[in-house]
Amino acid sequence: MNEQVSLNNQVLDALLLDYAAGALSQPLEILIETHLAMNPESAKTMQFLMQLGGILLEECEPVSLSEDALDKVMSAIAEDLEPLQKTTQPEHSFLPRPISDYIPDLSCTKSWHSAGIGISRHDVTFDNSDMRATFYRIQPNRAVPLHSHTGAEITLVVAGGFSDDVGTYGPGDIAVQEAGEVHKPVADADGECIVFAVKEGDIRLAGPLGRVFNLLMK
Amino acid sequence: MIISELKVDVVGESNHFQLVFKPQETVDQTMGTSLMNDNSKKLSTWDELLVRVGRDRDKSAFAELFDYFAPRVKSFLLRFGTDMSLAEEIAQEAMIMVWRRAETYDPRQSAASTWIFTIARNKRIDRLRRENRPLPDMTDPAVMPESIETGEIQVARIQKEKKIRHALKNLPEEQAKMIFSAYYEEKSHREIAEESGVALGTVKSRIRLALNRLRAHIDEDEGITP
Repeated sequence: MNEQVSLNNQVLDALLLDYAAGALSQPLEILIETHLAMNPESAKTMQFLMQLGGILLEECEPVSLSEDALDKVMSAIAEDLEPLQKTTQPEHSFLPRPISDYIPDLSCTKSWHSAGIGISRHDVTFDNSDMRATFYRIQPNRAVPLHSHTGAEITLVVAGGFSDDVGTYGPGDIAVQEAGEVHKPVADADGECIVFAVKEGDIRLAGPLGRVFNLLMK
Repeated sequence: MIISELKVDVVGESNHFQLVFKPQETVDQTMGTSLMNDNSKKLSTWDELLVRVGRDRDKSAFAELFDYFAPRVKSFLLRFGTDMSLAEEIAQEAMIMVWRRAETYDPRQSAASTWIFTIARNKRIDRLRRENRPLPDMTDPAVMPESIETGEIQVARIQKEKKIRHALKNLPEEQAKMIFSAYYEEKSHREIAEESGVALGTVKSRIRLALNRLRAHIDEDEGITP
Protein backbone atom coordinates (compact mmCIF):
# COMPACT_ATOMS: atom_id res chain seq x y z
CA MET A 1 0.00 0.00 0.00
CA ASN A 2 1.55 3.31 -0.93
CA GLU A 3 1.87 6.14 1.53
CA GLN A 4 -0.89 8.30 0.11
CA VAL A 5 -3.42 5.47 0.03
CA SER A 6 -2.64 4.66 3.63
CA LEU A 7 -2.98 8.35 4.56
CA ASN A 8 -6.35 8.49 2.78
CA ASN A 9 -7.53 5.46 4.74
CA GLN A 10 -6.30 6.87 8.02
CA VAL A 11 -8.02 10.17 7.44
CA LEU A 12 -11.21 8.45 6.35
CA ASP A 13 -11.24 6.34 9.52
CA ALA A 14 -10.73 9.44 11.63
CA LEU A 15 -13.50 11.27 9.78
CA LEU A 16 -15.92 8.40 10.27
CA LEU A 17 -15.13 8.12 13.97
CA ASP A 18 -15.51 11.85 14.50
CA TYR A 19 -18.77 11.82 12.57
CA ALA A 20 -20.13 9.08 14.84
CA ALA A 21 -19.05 11.01 17.91
CA GLY A 22 -20.66 14.18 16.56
CA ALA A 23 -17.33 15.98 16.60
CA LEU A 24 -17.09 17.16 12.99
CA SER A 25 -17.51 20.73 11.89
CA GLN A 26 -20.54 21.33 9.70
CA PRO A 27 -18.79 21.31 6.29
CA LEU A 28 -17.05 18.04 7.08
CA GLU A 29 -20.23 16.57 8.46
CA ILE A 30 -22.01 17.30 5.20
CA LEU A 31 -19.09 15.86 3.28
CA ILE A 32 -19.16 12.63 5.30
CA GLU A 33 -22.95 12.26 5.30
CA THR A 34 -22.89 12.47 1.52
CA HIS A 35 -19.99 10.04 1.31
CA LEU A 36 -22.02 7.59 3.44
CA ALA A 37 -24.95 7.83 1.05
CA MET A 38 -22.63 6.98 -1.84
CA ASN A 39 -20.29 4.40 -0.34
CA PRO A 40 -21.83 1.21 1.11
CA GLU A 41 -18.58 0.09 2.73
CA SER A 42 -18.25 3.26 4.78
CA ALA A 43 -21.97 3.08 5.56
CA LYS A 44 -21.32 -0.35 7.03
CA THR A 45 -18.45 1.00 9.10
CA MET A 46 -20.75 3.76 10.31
CA GLN A 47 -23.32 1.21 11.37
CA PHE A 48 -20.63 -0.37 13.51
CA LEU A 49 -19.48 2.97 14.94
CA MET A 50 -23.03 4.01 15.87
CA GLN A 51 -23.56 0.65 17.56
CA LEU A 52 -20.38 1.22 19.48
CA GLY A 53 -21.64 4.68 20.45
CA GLY A 54 -24.88 3.17 21.77
CA ILE A 55 -22.99 0.56 23.74
CA LEU A 56 -20.75 3.22 25.26
CA LEU A 57 -23.84 5.29 26.06
CA GLU A 58 -25.20 2.39 28.07
CA GLU A 59 -21.88 2.16 29.88
CA CYS A 60 -21.94 5.82 30.91
CA GLU A 61 -22.33 6.41 34.61
CA PRO A 62 -25.93 7.62 35.03
CA VAL A 63 -26.34 11.21 36.25
CA SER A 64 -29.77 11.90 37.78
CA LEU A 65 -31.98 14.44 36.13
CA SER A 66 -33.94 16.96 38.18
CA GLU A 67 -36.80 15.46 40.16
CA ASP A 68 -39.50 16.87 37.95
CA ALA A 69 -37.76 15.97 34.68
CA LEU A 70 -40.00 13.03 33.82
CA ASP A 71 -43.14 15.08 34.65
CA LYS A 72 -41.94 17.90 32.43
CA VAL A 73 -41.22 15.55 29.56
CA MET A 74 -44.53 13.72 30.06
CA SER A 75 -46.49 16.96 29.88
CA ALA A 76 -44.54 18.00 26.80
CA ILE A 77 -45.40 14.75 25.03
CA ALA A 78 -49.04 14.99 26.15
CA GLU A 79 -49.31 18.18 24.10
CA ASP A 80 -47.69 16.46 21.20
CA LEU A 81 -50.61 15.30 19.09
CA GLU A 82 -48.99 14.09 15.92
CA PRO A 83 -45.83 12.05 15.75
CA LEU A 84 -43.12 13.76 13.77
CA GLN A 85 -43.34 13.05 10.09
CA LYS A 86 -40.35 11.75 8.23
CA THR A 87 -38.46 14.32 6.27
CA THR A 88 -38.92 13.86 2.57
CA GLN A 89 -36.19 13.76 0.01
CA PRO A 90 -36.19 16.46 -2.65
CA GLU A 91 -37.02 14.73 -5.92
CA HIS A 92 -35.38 17.09 -8.33
CA SER A 93 -31.74 16.64 -7.42
CA PHE A 94 -29.47 14.10 -9.04
CA LEU A 95 -27.41 14.06 -5.85
CA PRO A 96 -28.15 12.46 -2.49
CA ARG A 97 -28.86 14.45 0.63
CA PRO A 98 -27.48 16.40 2.32
CA ILE A 99 -25.22 17.69 -0.46
CA SER A 100 -28.30 18.31 -2.65
CA ASP A 101 -29.41 20.95 -0.13
CA TYR A 102 -26.25 22.99 -0.71
CA ILE A 103 -25.42 22.73 -4.40
CA PRO A 104 -27.01 25.43 -6.58
CA ASP A 105 -28.78 24.59 -9.82
CA LEU A 106 -26.10 23.73 -12.38
CA SER A 107 -27.78 25.89 -15.02
CA CYS A 108 -27.86 28.95 -12.77
CA THR A 109 -24.90 30.89 -14.12
CA LYS A 110 -25.13 33.52 -11.39
CA SER A 111 -24.25 30.94 -8.73
CA TRP A 112 -21.12 29.66 -10.44
CA HIS A 113 -18.02 31.80 -10.79
CA SER A 114 -15.18 31.20 -13.15
CA ALA A 115 -12.04 29.87 -11.53
CA GLY A 116 -9.94 29.49 -14.66
CA ILE A 117 -10.65 28.02 -18.07
CA GLY A 118 -13.13 25.16 -17.82
CA ILE A 119 -13.43 25.48 -14.07
CA SER A 120 -16.10 27.16 -12.00
CA ARG A 121 -16.72 27.38 -8.30
CA HIS A 122 -19.45 28.06 -5.79
CA ASP A 123 -18.71 28.90 -2.17
CA VAL A 124 -20.99 27.62 0.54
CA THR A 125 -21.20 29.53 3.77
CA PHE A 126 -22.84 28.34 6.95
CA ASP A 127 -25.14 30.16 9.32
CA ASN A 128 -23.72 31.15 12.66
CA SER A 129 -20.17 30.45 11.64
CA ASP A 130 -17.25 31.58 9.54
CA MET A 131 -16.85 28.16 8.00
CA ARG A 132 -16.81 27.63 4.27
CA ALA A 133 -16.76 24.88 1.73
CA THR A 134 -16.45 25.08 -2.04
CA PHE A 135 -18.00 23.24 -4.95
CA TYR A 136 -15.79 23.01 -8.04
CA ARG A 137 -16.99 22.00 -11.51
CA ILE A 138 -14.26 20.89 -13.84
CA GLN A 139 -14.94 20.30 -17.53
CA PRO A 140 -13.92 16.93 -19.07
CA ASN A 141 -10.17 16.50 -19.56
CA ARG A 142 -9.51 19.86 -18.01
CA ALA A 143 -6.51 20.04 -15.69
CA VAL A 144 -6.73 22.21 -12.64
CA PRO A 145 -3.71 24.55 -12.80
CA LEU A 146 -0.76 23.31 -10.79
CA HIS A 147 -1.24 24.54 -7.28
CA SER A 148 0.13 23.84 -3.86
CA HIS A 149 -2.02 23.77 -0.80
CA THR A 150 -1.29 26.20 1.95
CA GLY A 151 -3.42 24.11 4.23
CA ALA A 152 -4.67 20.54 4.12
CA GLU A 153 -7.76 19.88 2.06
CA ILE A 154 -10.37 17.13 2.01
CA THR A 155 -12.30 16.66 -1.22
CA LEU A 156 -15.36 14.57 -2.00
CA VAL A 157 -16.19 13.66 -5.60
CA VAL A 158 -19.93 14.17 -5.98
CA ALA A 159 -20.15 13.49 -9.73
CA GLY A 160 -17.79 12.39 -12.47
CA GLY A 161 -14.20 11.70 -11.55
CA PHE A 162 -10.63 12.91 -11.67
CA SER A 163 -7.08 11.61 -11.52
CA ASP A 164 -3.92 13.05 -10.06
CA ASP A 165 -0.40 11.78 -9.55
CA VAL A 166 -1.69 9.60 -6.72
CA GLY A 167 -4.70 7.84 -8.12
CA THR A 168 -8.15 8.05 -9.64
CA TYR A 169 -11.25 9.14 -7.82
CA GLY A 170 -14.89 8.47 -8.68
CA PRO A 171 -18.28 9.46 -7.23
CA GLY A 172 -18.30 9.17 -3.44
CA ASP A 173 -14.50 8.94 -3.14
CA ILE A 174 -12.59 11.15 -0.77
CA ALA A 175 -9.20 12.62 -1.67
CA VAL A 176 -6.88 14.03 0.95
CA GLN A 177 -4.18 16.59 0.28
CA GLU A 178 -1.56 17.51 2.80
CA ALA A 179 -0.41 21.06 3.28
CA GLY A 180 2.36 22.02 0.88
CA GLU A 181 1.63 19.16 -1.47
CA VAL A 182 1.87 20.07 -5.13
CA HIS A 183 -1.14 18.75 -6.82
CA LYS A 184 -2.45 18.55 -10.37
CA PRO A 185 -5.86 16.94 -10.78
CA VAL A 186 -7.27 16.23 -14.25
CA ALA A 187 -10.99 15.63 -14.79
CA ASP A 188 -12.04 12.39 -16.49
CA ALA A 189 -12.78 12.51 -20.21
CA ASP A 190 -16.35 11.23 -20.01
CA GLY A 191 -18.07 14.09 -18.25
CA GLU A 192 -17.96 17.06 -15.96
CA CYS A 193 -16.40 16.45 -12.57
CA ILE A 194 -18.02 18.05 -9.51
CA VAL A 195 -16.25 18.06 -6.17
CA PHE A 196 -16.99 19.43 -2.72
CA ALA A 197 -13.85 20.67 -0.97
CA VAL A 198 -13.23 21.60 2.64
CA LYS A 199 -9.98 23.34 3.55
CA GLU A 200 -8.12 23.23 6.79
CA GLY A 201 -8.31 26.99 7.29
CA ASP A 202 -12.08 26.80 7.19
CA ILE A 203 -11.96 24.27 9.97
CA ARG A 204 -9.56 26.13 12.21
CA LEU A 205 -12.13 28.87 12.49
CA ALA A 206 -14.49 26.29 13.89
CA GLY A 207 -12.44 25.96 17.06
CA PRO A 208 -11.41 22.70 18.61
CA LEU A 209 -13.41 20.53 16.27
CA GLY A 210 -10.81 20.07 13.59
CA ARG A 211 -9.53 16.89 15.13
CA VAL A 212 -9.19 15.22 11.78
CA PHE A 213 -6.74 17.77 10.55
CA ASN A 214 -4.34 16.81 13.29
CA LEU A 215 -3.69 13.76 11.22
CA LEU A 216 -2.47 15.95 8.41
CA MET A 217 -0.20 18.15 10.44
CA LYS A 218 3.43 17.35 10.40
CA MET B 1 -11.43 -16.71 21.18
CA ILE B 2 -10.23 -14.09 23.65
CA ILE B 3 -6.62 -13.92 24.64
CA SER B 4 -6.69 -14.03 28.43
CA GLU B 5 -3.61 -11.95 29.15
CA LEU B 6 -5.31 -8.94 27.62
CA LYS B 7 -7.79 -8.96 30.45
CA VAL B 8 -5.11 -8.15 32.98
CA ASP B 9 -4.63 -4.78 31.38
CA VAL B 10 -8.25 -3.93 31.79
CA VAL B 11 -8.51 -5.16 35.34
CA GLY B 12 -5.30 -3.39 36.33
CA GLU B 13 -5.85 0.22 37.28
CA SER B 14 -9.22 1.08 35.91
CA ASN B 15 -9.81 4.32 37.79
CA HIS B 16 -12.51 6.26 35.98
CA PHE B 17 -12.93 3.59 33.36
CA GLN B 18 -14.22 1.24 36.01
CA LEU B 19 -17.73 1.97 34.92
CA VAL B 20 -16.97 1.18 31.37
CA PHE B 21 -15.01 -1.97 31.92
CA LYS B 22 -16.24 -3.56 35.09
CA PRO B 23 -13.45 -5.79 36.37
CA GLN B 24 -15.68 -8.67 37.46
CA GLU B 25 -16.93 -9.06 33.95
CA THR B 26 -13.49 -9.55 32.57
CA VAL B 27 -11.88 -11.64 35.32
CA ASP B 28 -14.03 -14.68 35.04
CA GLN B 29 -14.92 -16.02 31.64
CA THR B 30 -18.05 -17.88 32.79
CA MET B 31 -19.29 -14.98 34.81
CA GLY B 32 -18.53 -12.68 31.91
CA THR B 33 -20.62 -14.85 29.65
CA SER B 34 -23.60 -14.89 31.99
CA LEU B 35 -23.47 -11.13 32.31
CA MET B 36 -23.33 -10.88 28.57
CA ASN B 37 -26.49 -12.90 28.35
CA ASP B 38 -28.12 -10.58 30.84
CA ASN B 39 -27.04 -7.68 28.73
CA SER B 40 -28.57 -9.09 25.63
CA LYS B 41 -31.84 -9.75 27.46
CA LYS B 42 -31.82 -6.21 28.73
CA LEU B 43 -31.04 -5.08 25.24
CA SER B 44 -34.09 -6.66 23.72
CA THR B 45 -36.21 -5.32 26.57
CA TRP B 46 -35.20 -1.79 25.63
CA ASP B 47 -35.92 -2.58 22.01
CA GLU B 48 -39.37 -3.89 22.90
CA LEU B 49 -40.16 -0.89 25.06
CA LEU B 50 -39.20 1.43 22.25
CA VAL B 51 -41.38 -0.53 19.82
CA ARG B 52 -44.30 -0.19 22.24
CA VAL B 53 -43.75 3.56 22.43
CA GLY B 54 -43.79 3.81 18.65
CA ARG B 55 -46.63 1.39 17.97
CA ASP B 56 -48.95 1.89 20.97
CA ARG B 57 -47.84 5.32 22.19
CA ASP B 58 -47.32 3.52 25.51
CA LYS B 59 -46.45 6.02 28.23
CA SER B 60 -45.37 3.53 30.86
CA ALA B 61 -42.95 1.96 28.39
CA PHE B 62 -41.64 5.44 27.68
CA ALA B 63 -41.20 6.14 31.40
CA GLU B 64 -39.09 2.99 31.73
CA LEU B 65 -36.91 4.02 28.82
CA PHE B 66 -36.64 7.47 30.34
CA ASP B 67 -35.46 6.13 33.70
CA TYR B 68 -32.73 4.12 32.05
CA PHE B 69 -31.55 6.29 29.18
CA ALA B 70 -32.13 9.92 30.26
CA PRO B 71 -29.48 9.81 33.05
CA ARG B 72 -27.02 8.21 30.64
CA VAL B 73 -27.71 10.78 27.95
CA LYS B 74 -27.13 13.49 30.54
CA SER B 75 -23.88 11.84 31.54
CA PHE B 76 -22.84 11.64 27.88
CA LEU B 77 -23.50 15.36 27.47
CA LEU B 78 -21.61 16.30 30.63
CA ARG B 79 -18.58 14.43 29.37
CA PHE B 80 -18.53 16.74 26.38
CA GLY B 81 -18.18 19.68 28.74
CA THR B 82 -21.80 20.81 28.47
CA ASP B 83 -22.78 22.62 31.65
CA MET B 84 -25.18 20.98 34.09
CA SER B 85 -28.36 22.91 33.31
CA LEU B 86 -27.87 22.72 29.54
CA ALA B 87 -27.13 18.98 29.78
CA GLU B 88 -30.39 18.57 31.71
CA GLU B 89 -32.28 20.53 29.08
CA ILE B 90 -30.81 18.69 26.10
CA ALA B 91 -31.36 15.32 27.80
CA GLN B 92 -35.04 16.20 28.22
CA GLU B 93 -35.30 17.42 24.65
CA ALA B 94 -33.64 14.24 23.41
CA MET B 95 -36.15 12.12 25.29
CA ILE B 96 -39.05 14.13 23.87
CA MET B 97 -37.54 13.45 20.45
CA VAL B 98 -37.39 9.74 21.30
CA TRP B 99 -41.14 9.87 21.87
CA ARG B 100 -41.83 11.80 18.71
CA ARG B 101 -39.63 9.68 16.45
CA ALA B 102 -40.38 6.29 18.02
CA GLU B 103 -42.67 5.33 15.14
CA THR B 104 -39.71 5.24 12.78
CA TYR B 105 -37.72 2.90 15.04
CA ASP B 106 -37.13 -0.53 13.52
CA PRO B 107 -35.65 -3.12 15.91
CA ARG B 108 -34.47 -5.21 12.98
CA GLN B 109 -32.16 -2.40 11.97
CA SER B 110 -30.80 -1.04 15.21
CA ALA B 111 -30.74 -1.46 18.97
CA ALA B 112 -32.63 1.03 21.10
CA SER B 113 -29.27 2.16 22.51
CA THR B 114 -27.89 2.86 19.01
CA TRP B 115 -31.02 4.73 18.05
CA ILE B 116 -31.12 6.84 21.22
CA PHE B 117 -27.38 7.53 20.97
CA THR B 118 -27.96 8.95 17.49
CA ILE B 119 -30.75 11.20 18.73
CA ALA B 120 -28.68 12.48 21.66
CA ARG B 121 -25.73 13.05 19.34
CA ASN B 122 -27.90 15.06 16.96
CA LYS B 123 -29.55 17.08 19.72
CA ARG B 124 -26.16 18.07 21.00
CA ILE B 125 -25.01 19.17 17.55
CA ASP B 126 -28.27 21.09 17.04
CA ARG B 127 -27.71 23.05 20.19
CA LEU B 128 -24.11 23.77 19.30
CA ARG B 129 -25.18 25.13 15.94
CA ARG B 130 -28.55 26.51 17.00
CA GLU B 131 -30.19 25.25 13.89
CA ASN B 132 -32.67 22.61 12.97
CA ARG B 133 -31.07 19.94 10.91
CA PRO B 134 -33.02 16.92 9.76
CA LEU B 135 -32.22 13.84 11.80
CA PRO B 136 -30.65 11.02 9.88
CA ASP B 137 -33.42 8.57 9.23
CA MET B 138 -32.37 5.35 10.88
CA THR B 139 -34.41 3.33 8.44
CA ASP B 140 -32.57 4.91 5.54
CA PRO B 141 -30.23 2.36 3.99
CA ALA B 142 -27.59 5.07 3.78
CA VAL B 143 -27.50 5.29 7.54
CA MET B 144 -28.29 1.72 8.42
CA PRO B 145 -27.51 -0.46 5.45
CA GLU B 146 -29.15 -3.87 5.28
CA SER B 147 -26.44 -6.42 5.00
CA ILE B 148 -28.38 -9.57 5.86
CA GLU B 149 -31.68 -11.13 4.81
CA THR B 150 -34.58 -9.39 6.55
CA GLY B 151 -35.76 -12.24 8.79
CA GLU B 152 -32.29 -12.73 10.15
CA ILE B 153 -31.50 -9.10 10.78
CA GLN B 154 -32.53 -8.75 14.38
CA VAL B 155 -30.85 -11.96 15.56
CA ALA B 156 -27.68 -11.12 13.68
CA ARG B 157 -27.73 -7.58 14.94
CA ILE B 158 -28.04 -8.65 18.56
CA GLN B 159 -25.28 -11.23 18.08
CA LYS B 160 -23.05 -8.62 16.55
CA GLU B 161 -23.69 -6.27 19.43
CA LYS B 162 -22.80 -8.91 21.97
CA LYS B 163 -19.56 -9.40 20.12
CA ILE B 164 -18.76 -5.69 20.15
CA ARG B 165 -19.51 -5.50 23.87
CA HIS B 166 -17.35 -8.47 24.56
CA ALA B 167 -14.49 -7.24 22.40
CA LEU B 168 -14.70 -3.83 24.04
CA LYS B 169 -14.34 -5.32 27.50
CA ASN B 170 -11.31 -7.23 26.40
CA LEU B 171 -9.38 -4.40 24.80
CA PRO B 172 -6.07 -3.47 26.38
CA GLU B 173 -6.71 -0.60 28.75
CA GLU B 174 -4.75 2.02 26.84
CA GLN B 175 -6.70 1.27 23.65
CA ALA B 176 -9.99 1.30 25.50
CA LYS B 177 -9.16 4.70 26.95
CA MET B 178 -8.47 6.10 23.51
CA ILE B 179 -11.76 4.83 22.13
CA PHE B 180 -13.61 6.26 25.07
CA SER B 181 -11.92 9.63 24.68
CA ALA B 182 -12.65 9.65 20.98
CA TYR B 183 -16.37 9.33 21.64
CA TYR B 184 -16.90 11.15 24.85
CA GLU B 185 -14.41 13.92 25.16
CA GLU B 186 -14.17 16.80 22.81
CA LYS B 187 -10.44 16.69 22.62
CA SER B 188 -8.08 16.70 19.72
CA HIS B 189 -5.75 13.78 19.31
CA ARG B 190 -3.00 16.21 20.20
CA GLU B 191 -4.66 17.06 23.53
CA ILE B 192 -5.25 13.40 24.27
CA ALA B 193 -1.57 12.80 23.54
CA GLU B 194 -0.43 15.60 25.83
CA GLU B 195 -2.63 14.45 28.67
CA SER B 196 -1.71 10.83 28.50
CA GLY B 197 1.95 11.64 27.93
CA VAL B 198 2.32 9.57 24.78
CA ALA B 199 3.33 10.63 21.29
CA LEU B 200 0.68 11.92 18.90
CA GLY B 201 1.43 9.07 16.51
CA THR B 202 0.81 6.61 19.33
CA VAL B 203 -2.64 8.05 20.01
CA LYS B 204 -3.57 7.71 16.35
CA SER B 205 -2.28 4.18 16.10
CA ARG B 206 -3.96 3.09 19.33
CA ILE B 207 -7.32 4.36 18.12
CA ARG B 208 -6.83 2.56 14.85
CA LEU B 209 -5.68 -0.62 16.55
CA ALA B 210 -8.65 -0.57 18.89
CA LEU B 211 -11.17 0.03 16.10
CA ASN B 212 -9.63 -2.64 13.91
CA ARG B 213 -9.66 -5.08 16.78
CA LEU B 214 -13.33 -4.40 17.49
CA ARG B 215 -14.20 -4.59 13.84
CA ALA B 216 -12.29 -7.83 13.36
CA HIS B 217 -14.66 -9.59 15.74
CA ILE B 218 -17.57 -8.64 13.57
CA ASP B 219 -16.13 -9.14 10.13
CA GLU B 220 -14.90 -12.58 11.10
CA ASP B 221 -18.48 -13.57 11.45
CA GLU B 222 -19.82 -11.98 8.33
CA GLY B 223 -17.31 -13.89 6.28
CA ILE B 224 -19.34 -17.00 7.02
CA THR B 225 -22.71 -15.48 6.26
CA PRO B 226 -23.14 -15.14 2.50
